[in-house]
Amino acid sequence: MTIIWILLAFLVGAYLIAVLESWAVHGRLQPARPAFSALALLGRESLLARTPDRLFFEAGPVLLLVAGLLAVAVIPLAPGLIVTDLATGALFLNAALAYVLVALIMAGWGPNGAYGMIGGWRFLGQFVAYAMLIVMPITAVAMRAESLSTVDIVTSQAALWNIAYQPVGFALFVVAAMGLAWLPPLDLPTAPGDLAGGIEAEYTGVRLAVLRLARMTVILALAGATVTFYLGGWLGPWLPAPVWSGLKILLVAGLMVSAGRLVPRVREARYLALSWKLGIPLALTNIFLVGVIALVVPI
Amino acid sequence: MTGMTAQMIFLAFFGAAAVWFGIVVFRTKSMVRSALALLFSQTAVGLMFLVMQAEFLGVLQIMMMATEMSVMAIFMVMFMMDPGGMGAMDMTHQKRLSLWAGGIGLVAALAVIWLAAWGPAVPNIPGAAQQAADLGRELLGRSMFIFQSAGLTILTAMVAATMVAIAPRKERKE
Repeated sequence: MTIIWILLAFLVGAYLIAVLESWAVHGRLQPARPAFSALALLGRESLLARTPDRLFFEAGPVLLLVAGLLAVAVIPLAPGLIVTDLATGALFLNAALAYVLVALIMAGWGPNGAYGMIGGWRFLGQFVAYAMLIVMPITAVAMRAESLSTVDIVTSQAALWNIAYQPVGFALFVVAAMGLAWLPPLDLPTAPGDLAGGIEAEYTGVRLAVLRLARMTVILALAGATVTFYLGGWLGPWLPAPVWSGLKILLVAGLMVSAGRLVPRVREARYLALSWKLGIPLALTNIFLVGVIALVVPI
Repeated sequence: MTGMTAQMIFLAFFGAAAVWFGIVVFRTKSMVRSALALLFSQTAVGLMFLVMQAEFLGVLQIMMMATEMSVMAIFMVMFMMDPGGMGAMDMTHQKRLSLWAGGIGLVAALAVIWLAAWGPAVPNIPGAAQQAADLGRELLGRSMFIFQSAGLTILTAMVAATMVAIAPRKERKE
């Protein structure tokens, strides 16, 4: 029963994020817009490209949705309100999100079209930039909690949220998460304007609807991960725990989908250079500092 | 007992899946399909770890293989003169040598399986959190030297491979 409630909550969350994203893109708040676009997509014919790799073409969007849902499964919304509290939760989240990459390569390569293929390979290049910066900040978070369980990670922040304890890790994680969810300015795989939609270019109808829903789930999972790892999860005064989780997740997701639109798209090479020359040394410093603080000051 | 039987069935299923995807690696004519088949073969091995209640190792295997095989795919596409991996190419070569090597490997593996004294199965498996802690102590204790030297060897190989792949400075100017 809990699982159904959680899935329902995340479905509502995905819808609200879609509303927020359309607000950020079109500048007008239209709560019904995602519902209408979904209906339009479902009503449209789902075209099949000529000589596609049928298996990858069909499996790509579905695998993306599965990856997003698996990641969501280890995000706690309140004490006891979690699909499964794995002892290796933080690592599991990572493992699930690693298949976002596999799904996008499949979706890009499957339709046998130039735009899609370039989009898919671009995402693989982008992955080389963001991958370490997802894992290394999580390492520091797990070091403080002395556990990989996401519930333990939230309870370890009772005295001080990780955003104050390890702000560098927070900044690195959020930027890397935006890369993982290919949000602007790191939206090279879809790149509206220069790739004609990239990995989305050859998808239409119900397949595109699944792809878009899957992407919302991934964004939601990443916002949930940010809240769990850095913003104290369900912790907060006055309001009940699930409300705090929901509010924080929506706030983070809203910032993730809107803030990046104010800066120009980042080139692949520049993103790689920044991640490896600046991001990774910072992440290592963060791990070192958190280790020292955890040993010296018991918070 | 039923739990044990279910475990055996799942183990056999994922084992068969790992072998099947391993075969697909060589049956396909596409580099990308080959790389992804290898990935799913390794994912099946990760699922076998999960079935055997080695949670940390299973999740780690599933995570690492997704990233490793994808990065392997991009290197293949970059170095193999096959833009995007779209061209068809045969995934097998040196067939006679491979058949012999594979056959000898199979016989050796079967011999080890049949001849080794495996001892009784562990009755009380430690919990997942305890397993992760034990693994950490092992990695930073007795096995530290082995893992550090393995890591250094891989790093050296990566640097060397990149050096070999990059064209010399003189050639690039032309």
